[in-house]
Amino acid sequence: MKRFDCMKVLAARLKDELVILSLGGSVDEWYNAAPHMREASLFQQQLGCVTPQAFGLAAGLPHRRIVSLDTDGGLLFNLGILATLGNEQPKNLLVVVWDNEQYLSIGGPPTHTAFGRVDLAAIARGAGVEDAYLVRTLDEFDAHCKAGLAAQKPYIVVAKVSGTVQPDIRRKHSDGREDKYIFVRHVEATEGITIMGPSEHN
Amino acid sequence: MKKSAVDAVIRGLKKAGVSIVCYLPDSLFKELYPALDADPDIRTIRVTNEGEGAAICGGVFLSGKRAALVMENSGLRASVEPLARMGLGAGIPVVMLMSYRGELGENNWWAIPHGITMEPVLDALRIPYRVVREEEKIERAIADAYSWSYASYYHSAVALGGEVVR
Repeated sequence: MKRFDCMKVLAARLKDELVILSLGGSVDEWYNAAPHMREASLFQQQLGCVTPQAFGLAAGLPHRRIVSLDTDGGLLFNLGILATLGNEQPKNLLVVVWDNEQYLSIGGPPTHTAFGRVDLAAIARGAGVEDAYLVRTLDEFDAHCKAGLAAQKPYIVVAKVSGTVQPDIRRKHSDGREDKYIFVRHVEATEGITIMGPSEHN
Repeated sequence: MKKSAVDAVIRGLKKAGVSIVCYLPDSLFKELYPALDADPDIRTIRVTNEGEGAAICGGVFLSGKRAALVMENSGLRASVEPLARMGLGAGIPVVMLMSYRGELGENNWWAIPHGITMEPVLDALRIPYRVVREEEKIERAIADAYSWSYASYYHSAVALGGEVVR
């Protein structure tokens, strides 16, 4: 199963959601797989921060569906967030974990999921996120995305994907600061709120 | 902490518009956490480490709500990685309120590293901070931290020490 194919399937289900996603090749893949979600996606380069940030966003916007696109390396960096989700039970958070069993962005050394023992979905269930599933086919992935986007409790889909990056895709040119401004302005416009307002005159 | 100091912290947070607090409890603020939990205007989120709390606070910022990360100053060290990436890489601010363990007067050997490292770590991250040891200055310090962080879009911190926490 290829991550890019999964992304296209997920992207077809998204419209008003907000997405926070992880680092490496998945950034450029998502940029191309979900062009209609570019402004609604925060592209981050932060191991261990993606799902916590998505949960913070979900806590701040409880009426809005939030999607976290995390990775095996990213989630392993901070497994504690699973226990926090287990206790907090956010009703509006879908977490997808791209588990390619490697640190792809630095050339592919294995993560702990590569050796057949570590099961991130089982860890999530043990941490109190009952709806956590390991999927290996595109049909399974799509079905769980559909269920997860409608769930009233946290939902985690660990997608076992190959360690390949879609070739010949356009690379995103913006940095973290520009990405944040684009995302914040999108949240402001769609929520009718001010997050980064004007300076005071004094 | 005296109840009056706890009340001053909560007044400061409310004055700054904070509605979500992430915390990992510690001993010097032990009276503060249940007071935050009990406050009807504040949602508390308990975290497994302070770095996770910093990242959650970053996500809350993106929602337009205001968050605070409340912790012992040792939690600053656990937060350095997400703080550096969010603050310097993306301009996503986190406001921190920490107890100043390990300052002069400390009587626990294990807390000495917290006192020695706190201010240099804040300086390394270029995070402005105010150490408050007088109760009447708590509220203003918290409000000032939010004013600064929402002008700079960078982190700031208030450390409570001295008689405020002992």
